[in-house]
Amino acid sequence: MNDKPASFRGGLLAALPIVMGYFPIAFSFGVAATRGGLSQPEAVMLSLVIYAGASQFLALTLFASGAPILVAAFTLIAMNVRHVLYGPALMKEAGRDGARRYAWAWAWGLTDEVFGQALGAVARGQRFSESYMFGLGLAAYAAWVLGTAVGAYAGGGALDGWPAVSAGLDFMLSALFLALLLSIFSRLALPAILAAVVATVIGTLFWSGTAGILAGMICGAVAGMAAGLLRGRG
Amino acid sequence: MNPDLILMAVLAGLANWGFRALPILLMRGEAKPGGLMAGFLASTGPAAIATLFVASVLPGLWPEGRNLVPLTVGVLITVLAFLPRRSVVVATLAGSCGYGIAFALTT
Repeated sequence: MNDKPASFRGGLLAALPIVMGYFPIAFSFGVAATRGGLSQPEAVMLSLVIYAGASQFLALTLFASGAPILVAAFTLIAMNVRHVLYGPALMKEAGRDGARRYAWAWAWGLTDEVFGQALGAVARGQRFSESYMFGLGLAAYAAWVLGTAVGAYAGGGALDGWPAVSAGLDFMLSALFLALLLSIFSRLALPAILAAVVATVIGTLFWSGTAGILAGMICGAVAGMAAGLLRGRG
Repeated sequence: MNPDLILMAVLAGLANWGFRALPILLMRGEAKPGGLMAGFLASTGPAAIATLFVASVLPGLWPEGRNLVPLTVGVLITVLAFLPRRSVVVATLAGSCGYGIAFALTT
């Protein structure tokens, strides 16, 4: 365990893989948005105001299809319900260091990747701090908005001549999740991980990607909880 | 700017903020150690990260299996790069480079 709480600068540095993963995805979103008929400021506005990758791509489709606004908004909202679990799980891991005075601000940046990075850091013994969360979240948010702006202004085809670079960048977030999983892996976490993997695959194959994610998180958490109870009784 | 687009974005953005911030702001102390809620929350992190990893690689495997060499190389290099120093940053960057190189060599 580190004695000093993690700093704002530490958060910025820890965000590096997220930044490198977000920028190309946001770039793709900017390109897709302008190709879909949105203006450049509208594309950037979506990234600034929604700040949720899959939701934003879906927003383009829904908006282009002429779906009623409330239906479209509700669909986007339903995609991100999983985020309600992140804050409490992070606070639980942070323990006594789990300050939340400014959570109303830094929690805006609590995306999948930021949550994973923060949780991994605390699980590895780093002390939680709100400064660290601001650094981590701000760098990721800036990369997302900036990537969108560059994509919207550059237009399509910027990476067409560099397919290997594009492929490597596409894999960045998968590699990040795998590295985070390795960093928090333990025998105690195994039931939760296995149940999550199986439920995600089944939910995705038989229903949808969103259902798979929700099923994976809930089934994994329930399996981990049940395994803990069994261990306690044994 | 289109006002309907702004309305849709604001509604979705407000909900996102609510999902991310309100559970923290509304928490009343810590979950009881050893209790059901504590167990559930402690397992949420590993479950969420495992889920997100599977969800991120699944589109490359199903419904049409693509060239699996870059994925295999990317995963292996990520794991191998992680082991010596347990650095998430190094493992992520190495895995991504490995994926890109394998992609270039096999397509």
